[in-house]
Amino acid sequence: MYPTRSSNTTNRNAMDRKIAIDPVTRVEGHGKVTLHLDEQNRVKEARFHIVEFRGFESFVKGHPYWEAPLLVQRLCGICPVSHHLAAGKAIDQIVGIDPEDLPPTATKIRRLLHYAQVFQSHATHFFYLASPDLLFGVEAPAEKRNIMEVAVANPELARKGIQMRKFGQELIQAIAGKKVHGISVTPGGVHKGLSKEERTFFLDGKAIPSVDTMIAWSLEMVRFLFDYREQHREWMDSFAAFPSNHLSLVAADGALELYDGKFRVLDATGAKAMEDAADSTYQQLFSEATETWTYLKFPYLKSLGRENGWYRVGPLARLNVCEFISTPLAERERQAFKQLSSNSPNNKTMHTHLARMIEVLHCAELMKELLLDDSLDQGELVRQGKHRNLGIGVIEAPRGTLIHHYEVDDSGMITRCNLIVSTTHNNEAMNRSVRWVAEQVLDSKPEITEGLLNQVETAVRAYDPCLSCATHALGQMPLRVSLFDAANQLVDEKIRE
Amino acid sequence: MKKSLLIGIGNSGRQDDGLGWAFVEQVEQEACFQGDCLYRFQLNIEDAELLSQYDQVFFADAFAGELPGGFALTPCHPQPDTAFSTHLLSPACTLYLCRQLYAQAPQAWLLTMQGYRWELKEGLSAKAQANLEKALKYFRTSCRESGELASFSSSQQS
Repeated sequence: MYPTRSSNTTNRNAMDRKIAIDPVTRVEGHGKVTLHLDEQNRVKEARFHIVEFRGFESFVKGHPYWEAPLLVQRLCGICPVSHHLAAGKAIDQIVGIDPEDLPPTATKIRRLLHYAQVFQSHATHFFYLASPDLLFGVEAPAEKRNIMEVAVANPELARKGIQMRKFGQELIQAIAGKKVHGISVTPGGVHKGLSKEERTFFLDGKAIPSVDTMIAWSLEMVRFLFDYREQHREWMDSFAAFPSNHLSLVAADGALELYDGKFRVLDATGAKAMEDAADSTYQQLFSEATETWTYLKFPYLKSLGRENGWYRVGPLARLNVCEFISTPLAERERQAFKQLSSNSPNNKTMHTHLARMIEVLHCAELMKELLLDDSLDQGELVRQGKHRNLGIGVIEAPRGTLIHHYEVDDSGMITRCNLIVSTTHNNEAMNRSVRWVAEQVLDSKPEITEGLLNQVETAVRAYDPCLSCATHALGQMPLRVSLFDAANQLVDEKIRE
Repeated sequence: MKKSLLIGIGNSGRQDDGLGWAFVEQVEQEACFQGDCLYRFQLNIEDAELLSQYDQVFFADAFAGELPGGFALTPCHPQPDTAFSTHLLSPACTLYLCRQLYAQAPQAWLLTMQGYRWELKEGLSAKAQANLEKALKYFRTSCRESGELASFSSSQQS
């Protein structure tokens, strides 16, 4: 039941070769990497494959629209709240309610739920998945690169990570009834508000560390990562770095916006790659290409085409796209972050970790604002308007832009569903990151080493991909690296199970 | 009285994988256990913090291998593992993290009950149900005698 590691190695003269990393570890879900080398060991091709499929878009057809937020959150045990909210925003429109028409209290509750989710998801990624690479280095033995060793080497960091994740989860539970797969959204509103007593739990620091402590710890982590970048500047600035477009929702005034806004895309120089657009227009803006070797599609901007229209989403993109952050501490750190790229878009993939932690700080500040808001248990919670047959909900999930699209018949049964999740948006960027590592690390070192494997994974991990969401599948993550010659004969293989 | 925790691990939607939950459910209904009861699909890292709040912890889980007598009760000691997944921890590994991070080492036992069917379906198989009854009978007796998990010896098996 619990993973072990094994290896199987054979030697053979090779000309063209293929290396597979299957699956990538310390990411959410199941994917693999294949690298094709020519006779000179130069990378001909690098691919990040998503190899599982579950088909939620089909499952929900024929179900009543009000079930969508409950059904689709089962896509994932990590970010169910994000799917719950995106589906909720979509079905609001089915009952005739646009985001601006939602009851103010319902909007606040949903936002608080969202910020708690982003907070705990980002904390989980940093402390559980990414920190072993940063603390011990990508070349550290595999046995070292896990949360157990983080606990041994830096128990204070690990304890804070656990408490931060717990804070977010407790808040999710207070709002939605459960830490995972709870229910808050109802068509046109929310099921319940948050009483003063419930809010006090998160403010007074008696039962759990308070939201003020969360802010302080978040700030500590931001400073830790700035310091880390100073100490590892060359690696942090260059590893898997490449220019790209950046997509995110943004508020009407240009502020970082996680719950509801308009699309903005900047190119690698900071110029707008398209005019800002309403999120409901996504079908006019994006196309999705497919490849036979992966279930994950490749979205791109129609206006720029497949070759030039790909982009990144997520924390790095959001901090590039927004003009400012509405909360003071996070805004101060954003300004410092912008200095790292001379106020131009930051295309340094590893800086995503820093951007992610600045968002943690932002969410902590926002949670405090809302927890101090006495209107969270006052006023109407649900509104309904005139039935429509189409609903499109878009939010900025922890990993990036998340699009839910539902069409229903006049009786309210879902006839079509389209989900474009954050990890799908990042597909091209993740593939390019894999290629970068392959070209920079593998070209002159054809032997498969643990360090090589992990560097490929480190590049993918920066995006915090949720592969279960991306293909709407679930799976474990054993790791297999296979080396094939030109005749597709196995030359070398290492396996983690 | 020592503070005690009973955790059922599993998934009632996967047939006999629901043994752990069924065990806790029954214990709760009978109120034969003086402590807190919880259900988990799997143990996670943050459960280390939870364990640190208890003197005694009892894990109940299904077992896919052979168990003479249908169930087994063994002491559970802190033990690290190098699994790469953070989505599930063994009870021993969770105890290890509890000790490393919170300097707490609650007494712990692992009750495993043999299961036979693991498909996407609710309800225990007849043989698993029988194993559950045996484990419950043993547990009731022990709780009645002392009301605490400390009554269990270091290693017992039916």
